[in-house]
Amino acid sequence: MIKSTRQQFADTMLALGQLDKNIVVLVGDIGHGMFKPYAEVCSDRYYNIGILEPTMITIGAGLAASGLCPVMHTIAPFMIERGFEQLKLDFCYHQLPGNIVTVGSAFDYSNLGCTHHCYGDFALLKTLPGTEICFPSSAVEFDQLFRQSYKNKKLTVYRIAGSSHGHEFNTNDIIFGRGICVRDGEDVTLIATGPQLQTALEASDKISNNGISAEVIYIHTIRPLDLEVIRTSIEKTKKVIVIEEHMRSGGLGDDVLRDVYDIPGLKFHSISIPDQFVTGYGTYKQLLSSCGITSEAIVEICEAWF
Amino acid sequence: MNELTNKDLRRKIVDMVVTGGDGHIPSAFSIIDIVTLLYKKILKFDAKNPEWLDRDYFILSKGHGCLALYVNLHRHGFITDDDIAMFCKSGGILGEHPDRTKVPGAEASTGSLGHGLGFAVGIAIGLKIQNLNNKVFVLVGDGECQEGTVWESANVACNRKLGNLCVIVDWNQSGMQLMPFDDMPKKWAAFGWKVYLVDGHSDNDILEVLNKIEFTTDGIPSVIVANTIKGKGVPMLEGHGIWHHRIPNDQEYQKIMEVLR
Repeated sequence: MIKSTRQQFADTMLALGQLDKNIVVLVGDIGHGMFKPYAEVCSDRYYNIGILEPTMITIGAGLAASGLCPVMHTIAPFMIERGFEQLKLDFCYHQLPGNIVTVGSAFDYSNLGCTHHCYGDFALLKTLPGTEICFPSSAVEFDQLFRQSYKNKKLTVYRIAGSSHGHEFNTNDIIFGRGICVRDGEDVTLIATGPQLQTALEASDKISNNGISAEVIYIHTIRPLDLEVIRTSIEKTKKVIVIEEHMRSGGLGDDVLRDVYDIPGLKFHSISIPDQFVTGYGTYKQLLSSCGITSEAIVEICEAWF
Repeated sequence: MNELTNKDLRRKIVDMVVTGGDGHIPSAFSIIDIVTLLYKKILKFDAKNPEWLDRDYFILSKGHGCLALYVNLHRHGFITDDDIAMFCKSGGILGEHPDRTKVPGAEASTGSLGHGLGFAVGIAIGLKIQNLNNKVFVLVGDGECQEGTVWESANVACNRKLGNLCVIVDWNQSGMQLMPFDDMPKKWAAFGWKVYLVDGHSDNDILEVLNKIEFTTDGIPSVIVANTIKGKGVPMLEGHGIWHHRIPNDQEYQKIMEVLR
């Protein structure tokens, strides 16, 4: 059975927590079972702090001010949206380092409704100077990205997805801040982040039957964004589709377009969550479909372009 | 340390506000006696090494009272005459709220109310984890206690037995203007804190209580509810009227300085 990204988070804490006595894990009354091994081994550095997300963040900043390395974990909207001012002032304005790990990416909690959805987090976090954002969507990615970045003296946010893209990466391929060219192509660039790598690869297979060659680029680090790999590919193909589980405004697509708008003959399309509440229920995949985030949508755009 | 009186410090605050053209005089006068006593008699610090690991922490959560902090940081050598002269001036390090990244000795950048206590709780937990016995003080306003995060933090501090933490509430009745039901000692007692009620303008009162508190990393956190008067020291500034954020004109300045002579 494939290990979930979130389970890897707990396992990484268990491994690193024993090596690095500065790590302190704070959770907002979730994940008790998962963190039990860490809590037993690092009992003085595990705090199930309570249901008080803004204050959890402020407390984390205080821990950082005392010289420790906080890792804070709870559900994305409560951490990023409710606790936004705390992230902004207590970490960023103070120039204190820390690590935020969220679950409940986009509408992973599909049936829990909009209170538990969070698909504007990249946009919000990008307004915080010095903040780093990544979206590890497989176990090995989380482990590698966390180990490479958790002591980087910045606020780093790790958005954990409930699903994986299913693609297997070599450990050495995963470098914080670097995009990965997963498949070489000539005609169109598909840029995906998170589980949507799977959608991009599916679409790439389908359009190859029509003789269209897609270059597929995977982005696990939203900020700092690897613009070099992105621009190099688009300068070659002149056509790009960005696929992401984020609102259209402020997502990865905006960053890509801002960087490549000046490439002559550019064609750009964003496959993302519309700028509105996703109020439906059903499965995660059904909500993706309701937002038009499908391989069929990519195929349709490519057919119109070629 | 020079032998400045609290009247001298009040005069310096007024001068800074007039020179800088901005500032909250009554909020600073409300807490100047407490802050001055802390720096004179209680806090361990090294002005030449503000990040000294053995220091005690003082966090001014009601950041708009920062003039009381600034004049004490100046008195003890953290900041210079030039810094004071540049209050609210382009290129200066002192603004209307303290900035931790600019002001030596300022432990937190405050101004948005309701952050200082949680920050202090994090420091207190951090010290507890590291088996360090530094003391942590945080001064909050009574109006600030309308913020929910104050009580989230108070709840954690009690349940995590942060006996190394002491809150001082500047109970100058500002909050009661909006919310008259404001029994501050009962509220803190209900959150499981050890509560002391003092006259916030009496050195003896404050010192007596501070000497009673046993700072431990496994005890009950303490709160000193200080009865204070906003604008204390100059009758025309006292209370909750127009002076909250007003700059004295020439005539008013002369009158204030006569009282503080």
